Amino acid sequence: MTRVIVITSGKGGVGKTTTSASISSGLALRGFKTAVIDFDVGLRNLDLIMGCERRVVYDLVNVINGEANLSQALIKDKHCDNLFILPASQTRDKDALTEEGVEKVLKDLSHQGFDYVVCDSPAGIERGAVMALTFADEAIVVSNPEVSSVRDSDRILGILQSKSRRAIEGREPVKEHLLITRYSPKRVEEGEMLSYKDVQELLRVPLIGVIPESDDVLQASNQGTPAIHLKDSDVAFAYQDVVARFLSEDRPLRFVSYEKPGILKRLFGGK
Amino acid sequence: MADASQGKLIEFKGASLAVMTAYVRETDAVRLADAMHMMMGGMPDFFAGEPVVLDFSQLAGAPDWVDWTAITSLLRRYQVQPIGVRHLPEHLHEGARRANLAMLGKEGMSAERPVATPQPAAPVPQPEPVAAPAPAPAPEPVAEAQPATGNTAAPTLIVERPLRSGQQIYAKGGDLVLLAGMSPGSEVIADGSIHVYGPLRGRALAGARGDTSARIFSTNFGPELVSIAGVYRTFERGIPQNAAGRAAQVRLIGSDNQHTLEITPLQNDH
Ligand SMILES: Nc1ncnc2c1ncn2[C@@H]1O[C@H](COP(=O)(O)OP(=O)(O)OP(=O)(O)O)[C@@H](O)[C@H]1O
Ligand SMILES: [Mg+2]
Repeated sequence: MTRVIVITSGKGGVGKTTTSASISSGLALRGFKTAVIDFDVGLRNLDLIMGCERRVVYDLVNVINGEANLSQALIKDKHCDNLFILPASQTRDKDALTEEGVEKVLKDLSHQGFDYVVCDSPAGIERGAVMALTFADEAIVVSNPEVSSVRDSDRILGILQSKSRRAIEGREPVKEHLLITRYSPKRVEEGEMLSYKDVQELLRVPLIGVIPESDDVLQASNQGTPAIHLKDSDVAFAYQDVVARFLSEDRPLRFVSYEKPGILKRLFGGK
Repeated sequence: MADASQGKLIEFKGASLAVMTAYVRETDAVRLADAMHMMMGGMPDFFAGEPVVLDFSQLAGAPDWVDWTAITSLLRRYQVQPIGVRHLPEHLHEGARRANLAMLGKEGMSAERPVATPQPAAPVPQPEPVAAPAPAPAPEPVAEAQPATGNTAAPTLIVERPLRSGQQIYAKGGDLVLLAGMSPGSEVIADGSIHVYGPLRGRALAGARGDTSARIFSTNFGPELVSIAGVYRTFERGIPQNAAGRAAQVRLIGSDNQHTLEITPLQNDH
């Protein structure tokens, strides 16, 4: 059985694409045959972060319109053997994504034996975002520790409850996970940011992880390498933990407390 | 094809239908548009084609003339389907009729003899300027809402999942129990009492048909608005210290026309 996971947030720029790239890579590294689909029609993005932008010929809309078949459009990832990317279309036509079309693509992926399909949602609560979550079995709701992002996450959770196929058909609800990204324990300590506990208390969804704010993310995206592959990086460790928890392994939270730099660090610098 | 109703291609029967009421307190389409945008901004399909009765009982002043085309198309833009009007000043009837709106009596959509239910409470004076959705079926019904029917007692509506911003739920004729709290920007309405296990952070309106003995309970009190039988209170200047974030209840005290809301912490709160 293929599991469809949507990475969604409501608010833009919170780290959905970064997360989609790392989680799909993490699942593939664990041996699962995984596809990651970019639903952000008009804004190509995922392919850059996965470093496959130069190999994009066909996209999701081409497949939906029958201009290419799925196998032609899927791009094999350069880091993992069993990871495939289905890029977003550059068409401006927002109606190009149809529910029947998306359903058919997901069915085909299922027939090809994919274990997981990760859907990178566009921002907002409009059509594109709804399309990305319609067929989800699980949702990873990405939120930054600030009020507007939390509020939008709450909205998208409501939409999951009312617009997903699982909800409409009265099946078991979409399994919800909360992922807090761009977390800075120092700023939380200084009272400039909501703590992860605050965010979880506001949203009341099980926490699957906290990803620290780090320059490594930008560096990884410049290299076209999903952050989870970085060596010796807190962000990579945090995403590996998320994948482990997703697979029901126990992992304590890391990178959530701030330790004031000790005297040696202050004298000699270093990270 | 051949069944009991063969031969009759259309058949008319009496039926009573629960529909949402919009209390329209302003007929200037531009101001209405502004208010709708404030209320619904970013959620153009919140109402998803919901049929609505426009109630003019709270109209401020009586305009000479109403631009029905503007109002109906504005509402349709938000996917509200106006079907009729109620309590409309006499001289405006003709225009509304021409806009294909039905003239409804006090009983609204009820085409059967009115059932012996209490009349709707005095209009809920909500702070929004216009078109506040009144007690009505939820436009975004929560999937798990399961009426636990008793024998003759009014059914209790139990909601197991958190109610999210933008969602609304209505417990018709009875109590509402929320087992996972409610977020800011959500709204619950019950003809009876409202019980919230977990945070109460949106708007809660109990006794929507005028039951002054209805109450609101929460284990974590922090609402945007509470109302019982039409007496409401907002909290722009903060929640009372002794109740904020704690177990508390809201009830109506006083009698006849002198009702006030009382908010008290619950004793067994440690
Ligand atoms: N943990 C992090 N630390 C620092 N920067 C981050 C982190 N996660 C994401 N970013 C940065 O935030 C920006 C937005 O990230 P990303 O594109 O993943 O968000 P998105 O939610 O997909 O945005 P959109 O809504 O536009 O699709 C990028 O510049 C990215 O490098
Ligand atoms: Mg993105």
